[in-house]
Amino acid sequence: MLRLPSFKYLQPKTLKEALAMKADAGPDGMYVAGGTDLYPNMKRRHQEPRTVISLMAIPELKRLEGWNVGTCVTLTELSNLPTFQHSYPAVAHAAALVSTPLLRNMGTLGGNLCLDTRCNYYDQTYEWRKAIDFCMKKDGHICWVAPSSPRCWAVSSSDVAPVAVAIGAEFLLVGPQGERVIPAGRFYHNDGINYLTKQPDEILVEVRLPAPDGWDAVYHKLRRRGSFDFPVLGVAAWVRREGGRVTDARIVLGGVASWPQEIPEAAAALRDGELGDDAIAAAAAAAYRPAKPLDNTDFDLSWRKQMTRVYVKAALEELRQRRG
Amino acid sequence: MHRREGLAKLTGRERYVDDLPLDDFLWGMTVRSPVPRGRVTAVRFGADVDWSAFVIVDHRDIPGPNEVILIERDQPVLAAGYVRHVHEPVVLLGHRSREGLRRAVRAVEVVVAPEPPVLDFRVPPRPDQIQYGRDNVLKRLKIEKGDVERALAQAPVVVSGTYETGAQEHVYLETQGMIAWLEDQVLVVKGSMQCPYYVLSALKHALARDESRVRVIQTPTGGGFGGKEEYPSDIALHAALLALKAGRPVKIVYDRGEDMAATTKRHPSWVRHRTGLTRDGRLLAQDLEVVLDGGAYVTLSPVVLSRGIIHAAGPYSCDNVRIAGRVMFTNAVPFGAFRGFGAPQTLFACERHMDVIARTLEIDPVELRRINLLRDGQTTATGQVIRDGTDRVAVLERALELSDYRAKRRAHAAFNETHAAQRRGIGLAAFYHGAGFTGGGEVHLNSRVRVAGLADGRVEVLTANIEMGQGTLTVFTQIAAERLGFAPQDVAIAEADTGRVPNSGPTVASRTTMVVGRLIERACDDLRSRLEVDAAVRGASLRAAIVRWHREHAAERLVGDAVYERPPGISWDDANYRGDAYGAFAWATYVAEVEVDLATYSTRVTGFVAVQEVGKVLNETLARGQVQGGVVQGIGWALMEECKFRDGAMINNQLTNYLIPTSDDVPPIHVAFLENPYPHGAQGAKGLGELPIDGPAPAVLNAVAAATGADPRAVPLTPERLMAIADFGLRSAE
Repeated sequence: MLRLPSFKYLQPKTLKEALAMKADAGPDGMYVAGGTDLYPNMKRRHQEPRTVISLMAIPELKRLEGWNVGTCVTLTELSNLPTFQHSYPAVAHAAALVSTPLLRNMGTLGGNLCLDTRCNYYDQTYEWRKAIDFCMKKDGHICWVAPSSPRCWAVSSSDVAPVAVAIGAEFLLVGPQGERVIPAGRFYHNDGINYLTKQPDEILVEVRLPAPDGWDAVYHKLRRRGSFDFPVLGVAAWVRREGGRVTDARIVLGGVASWPQEIPEAAAALRDGELGDDAIAAAAAAAYRPAKPLDNTDFDLSWRKQMTRVYVKAALEELRQRRG
Repeated sequence: MHRREGLAKLTGRERYVDDLPLDDFLWGMTVRSPVPRGRVTAVRFGADVDWSAFVIVDHRDIPGPNEVILIERDQPVLAAGYVRHVHEPVVLLGHRSREGLRRAVRAVEVVVAPEPPVLDFRVPPRPDQIQYGRDNVLKRLKIEKGDVERALAQAPVVVSGTYETGAQEHVYLETQGMIAWLEDQVLVVKGSMQCPYYVLSALKHALARDESRVRVIQTPTGGGFGGKEEYPSDIALHAALLALKAGRPVKIVYDRGEDMAATTKRHPSWVRHRTGLTRDGRLLAQDLEVVLDGGAYVTLSPVVLSRGIIHAAGPYSCDNVRIAGRVMFTNAVPFGAFRGFGAPQTLFACERHMDVIARTLEIDPVELRRINLLRDGQTTATGQVIRDGTDRVAVLERALELSDYRAKRRAHAAFNETHAAQRRGIGLAAFYHGAGFTGGGEVHLNSRVRVAGLADGRVEVLTANIEMGQGTLTVFTQIAAERLGFAPQDVAIAEADTGRVPNSGPTVASRTTMVVGRLIERACDDLRSRLEVDAAVRGASLRAAIVRWHREHAAERLVGDAVYERPPGISWDDANYRGDAYGAFAWATYVAEVEVDLATYSTRVTGFVAVQEVGKVLNETLARGQVQGGVVQGIGWALMEECKFRDGAMINNQLTNYLIPTSDDVPPIHVAFLENPYPHGAQGAKGLGELPIDGPAPAVLNAVAAATGADPRAVPLTPERLMAIADFGLRSAE
């Protein structure tokens, strides 16, 4: 069994206290919510904090007010909320597709949004990584997926993040310098190592969802099994329609880049038309071209590339059927 | 009867080897070869570790021959100057802290001058790759019946095909683990295992200790599936060597990554069929070539090959059969025992090939099987006359009926007409599995069982057969209780401790209930004869007789014994591979329904029916559990379980990238038993444990073939593989 290294565990009761604890701990301190991402990573020595600051006892992170959701709400709670199932089915659905019931009982909305990027050369034990002389994401210098690459290509593997970006959610961050609110899309970098724009001492406090005023969204997830696995591809599709016409659209892919990858070309193919077969096919084709998955997740690459088109098409067809 | 240890397992009170309290002990870990083949030029111990705090063992510390004794003596306990596979054990380290030990293992460098490895068993080796005999063949076996060449030459139709299967990991819940210590000059080794006497024999040989100075005790074992048949001898030797050198108890428990990377797997296979038939599908000749990947040492591969080729022709009657089998040496981690033991590989080829034949001849796959299934009085490939009275066609019919096969075929045809993106199909496999050791194996084992009458009137059953989740404790209790008229609580089952129990053979080969259970019955009878009472004396009166005996024979032991006796009329010619390969076969037909998504090439198993004739079913809950578990394991092997290797090392040795089915990936499994009691098995039982892994893979792939028109020939049939062999016309241009 892989074991955790020893570390100091702190449980602040307020945001202010948490920020102070982080300031004391310095770069060796890390926040944790449900721990379903961080603790396994610590066992494999991906992250090695000396001080772990739990956010789970801070009441305002558990808050549900209107369409504002505290980030320490668990994925189970989120997927079971009737208001969410009704008004934000794509969010509830994406949350329900994360891992297994046990992990959703522990894992949180914020944790899933901040999920570490994943790669076949990274998500391995220390010994395994040592045997290949590590990779640039941790302890090494090279990217084994693309050895000449200056950057890390680890993959954004969150289910909720593509949906948050697609529907245009906003994130409230609180740090030593105060509060800021940013669009979900600006929370991520396309870089496997620095994949968040969040500063290490900032806390992701709240997700502000847009009012459910006539748009609709769906999320489709590709993985080998019906449960448990991270997405190898996630497709979040959002449309706003007036009459039968699409006035605005966004297609965001998970699992193909180091961030939730928005595909403006696909959205453009849908705008100012009906969700007809041709428009859907054009959007699927548009998504296929820029989506360049690398050979660093489950499944053979050639098959995964084909599936982008298949999944975007299926997602859009579901959207059409739901409001059709 | 409920599972005997069920409550302890359910409530977490059962104590596995890693849970056992141990005072003042060291952890043990293994330093392994980084490459598949080469001369070890140096073992370097890093400067940043205080090595005086570690116990260090290498091959020079082995008191006896540096051999893990099994069929051959080719495998060293610790590599001595030469390595033949990645992860081969080279040095053992013992230390108080597990974390410190982990760092120390990282600080040891095994320097190897690499030599060219063999990594593909299907490709003939180059001269510089020869490492075993003259041609890297670990074992050759041949079965011949009739005149195959002549029959093929005269056959109106000949259908050929090749079939491949990949390695499979056991994924027992409890990883391998062993503890060892010295107790008054007696070496005690305790751990997770299927075969205490195999471990005992390995310890005696390499440590040069006689039986009086070694004792092996099995701890509650969290799954085995064959993975704990031969490998525990290796880890037991490692723990023992460290304990002997340290003078303190040593515990070695593998983590999942080490367990998956360094221990045995199911043998990969390549099978070629050339079949001569009449135009209406009657088998005239079966010509087969079976090749297995053995890995770097012989281990049990000759016996796996033996069982593989004996089952390779399927449960069919054919007058002319030739099966040539060989196991190839490669520089892979040795492949080993895994539920089914060669039969799943050859039966996959056979049953997939039957559907290929049916498609070629344009006849119904059910009819093809029906006309060729063995009837009583007909002979198997080894010439064994089958006359057990089982109606094998009735087994097939029952499976068709329970699966609603005919109606489903019509419904699927209609569905496929009207749906552009999905295809539904149904497929079957008819098969069999021989119970107990092959050929003369049971005679060589010479198994012994003892039943002791205790002073309080209860009995204790003493065998070396173990519980690993399959239900041995419960079924043995039932068998003794039924024979003696006792309540289950008046039957104790002894811990499998070689210091106490006789050698009743290994817990493998679907032999425990049938063979050892029968020995328990006979030992119970022997106990009665010691008491000089007849079979009418049961229950309370028998308990009273035991109590009375003890009163009259103070300080004496009351025991009944039984030794294996070959059932009458059985004979086996090992030189020519002719005769009665098994005392009994279990017979089965499995039916799988699938839905294939034509856009994603992914397959879902949507229905499953498993019908088998296994003699008498002794405990229906446990028997169903065995079948359902085997079916799930078989579906995993058929569709998703894939060991990926690079330079001889498994690169997906984690449960996040070696995927096994979840409950969401398997359909409800309908299990049905037909019963035809076998007179030489306990209460009429035949072996059941391995049978259910033989059928799912061919049934599922036959269903995919029926659904899509594709012609898959290899497992696992992942979506990627299906995309590579089939074009459903939906794939868009690049």
